[in-house]
Amino acid sequence: MKKQPEYRFIFAFQVLSVVMIWVFVLGISSWIIHLLLLARHLNDVPSASVGISIVAIPVFLTGASVLTYVFVGLRRGRERGVPRDAGGESR
Amino acid sequence: MSLAMTESRQPGPPQFEDQDLVRSIEESGVRFRVTSTLLLLVILGCWVLFSRQILYGLGVTGLNQPVSWGFYIVNFVFFIGISHAGTLISAILRLSKAEWRRPITRMAEVITVVVLAIGAFHPVLDLGRPERMFNIFTSGRLQSPLLWDVSSISAYFMASTVYLFIPMIPDIAFLRDRGVRPRWFYTFLAWGWQGTPRQHAVLERAIGIMMVLVIPIAVSVHTVISYIFAMTLQPGWHSTIFGPYFVVGAIFSGIAALLVVMIALRKIFHLERYLQEIHFSHLSKLLLVMALLWFYFTFSEYLTAFFGNEPTEMRVFFYKFTGAYAPFYWGMVVCNLVIPVLILSFKKTRRIPGILIASITVVIGMWLERLNIVVPSLANPRLPYPTGFYVPSLVEWGMFVGAIGTFILGFVIFGRLFPLISIWEIREGREKAVAETTKRVKSYLPIVATPRGSGGQEGGDRNEETA
Amino acid sequence: MPRWGMVIDLDRCTGCGACMAACHQENNLAAVGMQQTRDESRAFHWLRLMPEVSGSAPNVKLRFLPQPCFHCDNPPCVRVCPVHATYLGEDGIVGQIYARCIGCRYCMAACPYSAKVFNWYRPIWPGESRRKANPDVSRRPDGVVEKCTFCHHRIMRAKEAARAEGRPLQDGDVTTACAEICPARAITFGDLDDETSRVRELSHSPRAFRLLHDLGTRPKVYYLADKE
Repeated sequence: MKKQPEYRFIFAFQVLSVVMIWVFVLGISSWIIHLLLLARHLNDVPSASVGISIVAIPVFLTGASVLTYVFVGLRRGRERGVPRDAGGESR
Repeated sequence: MSLAMTESRQPGPPQFEDQDLVRSIEESGVRFRVTSTLLLLVILGCWVLFSRQILYGLGVTGLNQPVSWGFYIVNFVFFIGISHAGTLISAILRLSKAEWRRPITRMAEVITVVVLAIGAFHPVLDLGRPERMFNIFTSGRLQSPLLWDVSSISAYFMASTVYLFIPMIPDIAFLRDRGVRPRWFYTFLAWGWQGTPRQHAVLERAIGIMMVLVIPIAVSVHTVISYIFAMTLQPGWHSTIFGPYFVVGAIFSGIAALLVVMIALRKIFHLERYLQEIHFSHLSKLLLVMALLWFYFTFSEYLTAFFGNEPTEMRVFFYKFTGAYAPFYWGMVVCNLVIPVLILSFKKTRRIPGILIASITVVIGMWLERLNIVVPSLANPRLPYPTGFYVPSLVEWGMFVGAIGTFILGFVIFGRLFPLISIWEIREGREKAVAETTKRVKSYLPIVATPRGSGGQEGGDRNEETA
Repeated sequence: MPRWGMVIDLDRCTGCGACMAACHQENNLAAVGMQQTRDESRAFHWLRLMPEVSGSAPNVKLRFLPQPCFHCDNPPCVRVCPVHATYLGEDGIVGQIYARCIGCRYCMAACPYSAKVFNWYRPIWPGESRRKANPDVSRRPDGVVEKCTFCHHRIMRAKEAARAEGRPLQDGDVTTACAEICPARAITFGDLDDETSRVRELSHSPRAFRLLHDLGTRPKVYYLADKE
């Protein structure tokens, strides 16, 4: 059986990894917006820039949201009293 | 037999029906260590070769005026093309509820992630000043097709990693519960999975969203890669068909690569019970369809060029058909059309050995297709410039070998850590899928008319009530 | 703003190659060497002398087209550069920022005139030429793309001189190295928007044509020939 503190440690890392994914996704989204503003400043062909941003940013946000949804959903869907590592099949 | 060998201190985890799928994880293999060491040595050797390019510049390659793009770009397009394996099989088959996908989806998704990482790295190899790569982040221009590429490939990489990871969670939890070392690793990744109904519902919904999201992203990735070529004015490149052509070619090469991987892993990890002839039969029929579809697009492309008879286009055309690139061009046609169609059209030859040959030739043929797209247009510039030539150097061959080695290593490592076939989906297939599919098929059948015409409440009985 | 352009009279050009030599000297072009040029097909010139052979024996016609970068007003290379290292300046010159170029060579693949060259190895200036380099022109490192700049450094010098004298730039104040050296005076350089300039007058000549202008690139180098 796992010791409680060790498990909390792992949980903290899991939360950290989800946070890092959001950092990454928000970073990429803000980079694309930065490029969009740069393109406007340079009077580039607007259609391509806008098209890419409209497609790429929602994809990243959806990906991160799905991951967060799964993480939160799995934690909430846990049942009390079920031993964590039951051995054998996890069903 | 494996019980005693698994863990020396306590009795190992119990045997279960799908023991084969975790054998490579739970039993430490000499095979694994030998293979991974060999592969690492090969990859290291290739990087040593590459150090010549880092030291002396791109001059150590075979690139020149006018052929300024070569193997690195060919391999870039090739590897990203193979990444469509995961999307097609996993997402589309899941969407269409094809039950035969169950043992295949995991491998397909792994192919995508590994091959995307390799492919996306190739343009960096091709840069004259790779240390300035971050200029793309500070002063990138969104109107350049290369930037569209960066955006869509990173979106696809993120989506496919998420799409690989989420269905892996129950299997990771399974390994955690079996006590596979290192414990913290599997506990960390399992995200607290217990298998409760609520958790299953969350998982199903998330997979449902991702499988729909991944398909348009995958289509956009290879379309955008084709735009790198199609958005220039060069003869042979500036064609509107490039978007769909590349996507079809990518799916084609993806299925072929998936088949090769499936056959190889089946042999190495003894997965004959899971990957049966029927799986290969279905997938190879898809491969046959894609071969014919690829031919349709190719024929369309070249007939249009030929019929237009525009001088600059015809120079590129004849360079491929009868000129210096004729062996590569006709080799491509033989590998992509003649051999696969001949082998896969007949039931007698559509067995695993034949499928293996057909798939390998398709992979080679699609690589040749990328070569035929990149080099001939560059070798025949518009102005009355002497026709160029391109002979790849040792460094470029080395990086090609290294890329293939990295691909294999990716699988070797993945197979050591995680099951290559989705255990929970196989189990779900055994327990629930048969009943669900029966119910579904019955719902397609005509509605049984209620006896004595009592004008049934919801249009009559549904057949499943008799089940 | 001036719009710099060039007119090259093919009926005067003798194919002597002095323009190529002058360009190399003026712009500190590296010496690529015979082995690289011949065996690896890496000829390195900003201004190329393209021979054009037409007709068949015994009526073979040979003429030479000096081809610099055409500084298109709708440049395909600028559209595809991912880092804005090649750009269309306000004075009509398509510039190249060597410090930003990442060496992806997309502009080389996109240019229909094959006007751009790449530094495949670290460039060398053999012997004395290193000491005698033109201080006005930066030396490029390996791994970046470069091309003809219409001797932009000379334009800057002329602008400074004109500003110092308190007058606007006039036709004849500035000329490129190739135009200056041509013994047949086949090359004329100047402001296409300046109504008094020779270049503008020549570009309107009935003998004027541009290469591949049907691609919509709007090149600013005109050729004069009795037939195209």
